Amino acid sequence: MAQQDEEQKRVQYPLDSDYYKILDEIGVGVSAVVYKAICVPINSTMVAIKAIDLDQSRADFDDVRREAKTMTLLSHPNILNAHCSFTVDRRLWVVMPFMSAGSLQSILSSTFPDGLSEPCISVILKETLNALSYLHGQGHLHRDIKASNILIDSNGSVKLADFGVSASIYESNLSRGGWPSSSSSSLMLTDLAGTPYWMAPEVIHSHNGYSLKADIWSFGITALELAHGRPPLSHLPPSKSLLLNITKRFRFSDYEKQQKDKNKKFSKTFKDMVAACLDQDPSKRPSAEKLLKHSFFKNCKGSDFLVKNVLQGLPSIEERYKESTILHGQSVMKNGSSEDEEVDDEGDPVRQNIKQRRISGWNFNEDGFELDPVFPTESRDELIVKLVRFGGETIIQDHGGESSQSGEFEFASCTEEIGVSGTENMDNSNPNSLNEISEEAQMGVQGEEQSAVGRSGGVQIGGQGLDTEAMVRGLVLLKTSLDDQREKVVSMIRMFQGEEGGEVSKEEQMGQVIDELRKELEIERQRNFEMEMELEFLKLQISGA
Amino acid sequence: MKGLFKSKPRTPVDIVRQTRDLLIYAGRNPDSRENKREEKMSELCKNIRELKVILYGNSESEPVSEACAQLTAEFFRENTLRLLILFLPKLNLEARKDATQVVANLQRQQVNSKLIASDYLESNKDLLDTLIAGYENTDMALHYGAMLRECIRHQCVARIAILNDQIVNLLSNNFLFRMFLQSKHMKKFFDYIQLPNFDIAADAAATFKELLTRHKSTVAEFLSKNYDWFFAEYNSKLLESTNYITRRQAVKLLGDMLLDRSNSAVMTRYVSSRDNLRILMNLLRESSKSIQIEAFHVFKLFAANQNKPPDIISILVANKSKLLRLFADFKTDKEDEQFEADKAQVVKEIASLEP
Repeated sequence: MAQQDEEQKRVQYPLDSDYYKILDEIGVGVSAVVYKAICVPINSTMVAIKAIDLDQSRADFDDVRREAKTMTLLSHPNILNAHCSFTVDRRLWVVMPFMSAGSLQSILSSTFPDGLSEPCISVILKETLNALSYLHGQGHLHRDIKASNILIDSNGSVKLADFGVSASIYESNLSRGGWPSSSSSSLMLTDLAGTPYWMAPEVIHSHNGYSLKADIWSFGITALELAHGRPPLSHLPPSKSLLLNITKRFRFSDYEKQQKDKNKKFSKTFKDMVAACLDQDPSKRPSAEKLLKHSFFKNCKGSDFLVKNVLQGLPSIEERYKESTILHGQSVMKNGSSEDEEVDDEGDPVRQNIKQRRISGWNFNEDGFELDPVFPTESRDELIVKLVRFGGETIIQDHGGESSQSGEFEFASCTEEIGVSGTENMDNSNPNSLNEISEEAQMGVQGEEQSAVGRSGGVQIGGQGLDTEAMVRGLVLLKTSLDDQREKVVSMIRMFQGEEGGEVSKEEQMGQVIDELRKELEIERQRNFEMEMELEFLKLQISGA
Repeated sequence: MKGLFKSKPRTPVDIVRQTRDLLIYAGRNPDSRENKREEKMSELCKNIRELKVILYGNSESEPVSEACAQLTAEFFRENTLRLLILFLPKLNLEARKDATQVVANLQRQQVNSKLIASDYLESNKDLLDTLIAGYENTDMALHYGAMLRECIRHQCVARIAILNDQIVNLLSNNFLFRMFLQSKHMKKFFDYIQLPNFDIAADAAATFKELLTRHKSTVAEFLSKNYDWFFAEYNSKLLESTNYITRRQAVKLLGDMLLDRSNSAVMTRYVSSRDNLRILMNLLRESSKSIQIEAFHVFKLFAANQNKPPDIISILVANKSKLLRLFADFKTDKEDEQFEADKAQVVKEIASLEP
């Protein structure tokens, strides 16, 4: 059985820095440095060492631990494993195989700024899908699929890397779904992780929960990235990308608008494959396994093809890295760190598992200009901060919720004044019900803060334990989503005001946005109603007990 | 072979039984012909995968509670859990992971609204020994470690279960838990969390923390009964470890324990010892900001103690100016009102001390 192979395969790499000889720095981030090195006692094998500064991690090191564990326990030819990991004073060294051609993102930006050819894309995506199919079979979400996390070795082999924000649907906080009651929601995650441009709409709206299909979305975005050399909407600041993401479909034509080279033609089967991945409805997106059977991957070439067509003449990782640091020198470093600092400033531990904080072994190709998600300092990025914060037990309390819930369609007034009146613009809406929602949600928040047994006066459950907690969480989620929506509308208003030319297309876009938001409001109402029912039910149970 | 099993759909009970038979086979020495063994082993792995699918569902189907209950009942009716744990090393990586998830799930499954996994473990205490010793085996550590954490986490069962069976669950879980804490194995964790393999050490640390923070009353009882050896080890092996990550985790966990209201008696005792104070003051001087901050959260308890023993006072007085200087530019990275308030309080306390 595989048992023997496995033991054979597992060469034990030494757990001591003395046995490694560092050759070169090939990447740097705020909390990590990546080196090219050799492991002297093992035939001077080439390795990549990611040295993570632990002093910037949370003290329980949960995220780092999870990453290390994932990298140890996954075993697939298309997944980058760690040979071992150990601490060297304040740093954690993760020793990994050296993938000499580096990340696809770095390949794109150094050599193929307008994207790769379809046959090459097909090979890369197929290998990536193999990895995804395996991961998903294991109940793991990668949560950060993108070109900078896909690595190539000199022989053309493709590996998916960076499990810094990956999660297991078996291990996550399952209190929400009420395990073992076996509802499908128990296999859903609700915290926010990933990188904005690649993030699926349901991840952005993560109160509804998301699952494996979120990776398929990111996979689709990655396909576009490989085709064009950068992810869609990357000309926008990331928060705006988040916004548009949920309000409209991606079309290939979006590129035609943005891009100078309109000559690039794509095959129907490629477009069809990508479109399937980018369906707004997660349940309509194909699984990784099913995607592998898509005709786009028929007659797919082998790794040799990549060696010939992509790798030949490619500057080495070191050269690419040096070039990028020389070219962009200081500013690159600054950009790289500004996004991190932005997260750090808040210092909220919950957010430490988001992508912006983590530095993957190969994720350092800052020379991509707009490719890189650099967070603007304008207030729009509050959206991200807010979204991002939403994740664990720590729940948003930072902004006054009162005015937040209903101003969705008040376009005339600016930002803060949006009041309840805004709702009246909308047909058949009921401001009162909205207020109730938010009030309940707020009481929920207070209840959570007090964390006493008889929490939450608004939600009158005298009981204790998970029941109330789940309820409170639900209500808080509701509140968050309302806040989020307000945030989005405010941003939309700004966008609108900022471009007073008032093109027809903008208005159309707004119309779409309004429709989307309207639908969401309906869903929220429905959810609220369901919660109330549940509350009633629980009250009955308690009074009966 | 295949046709035989495919002929009629197997019930969960069938699958458990067959898994058990195959596990017994796997446990034997591999004297039989190699290819036959290989076939049986892959059959076993497939069975374990099927058990997992029954318990967790998959993309096509949700788990059925009736099937889960049948599976669980059969699993614990005989010694399948024992066999699965003991012969886990014989399985391949994928099957080990599946088995770990199966065991984790079984801890929460109810049969006739009883958590029978808890009962089973209670009468098979030695299985915990096996799981704990798993930390000494690089290949098995993460699997056994994950199982172990599930076994000691019984309280986090689904909310319905808690409402219906709270008392029963509490009793049985606490029994298990107490047994665990008092076992000789508790001491082993002081070494496990300093193993060189980061992934294993971190897993052990997570378990250690779980043990010392979950089930509050039991922890309080454990700490007061085992105070002397426990804190002697804790100080010398963890807080004064040469390993950065060990010190940092230890001081954080110490703060969590001492600040928990249920451990107030232990806290009072801890902050009356000059040795402890000396260790914490050394941690305050560390160059790592993170350790300094965590150390402060423990140090403040010494300062805030209204019945400070004379030797504590004399140390604080002797270091008064140094401490005040330290606190003068002692800041957290982000603004933290609570921290600032605590600091002001500590500064006030120390400034007012007279020899």
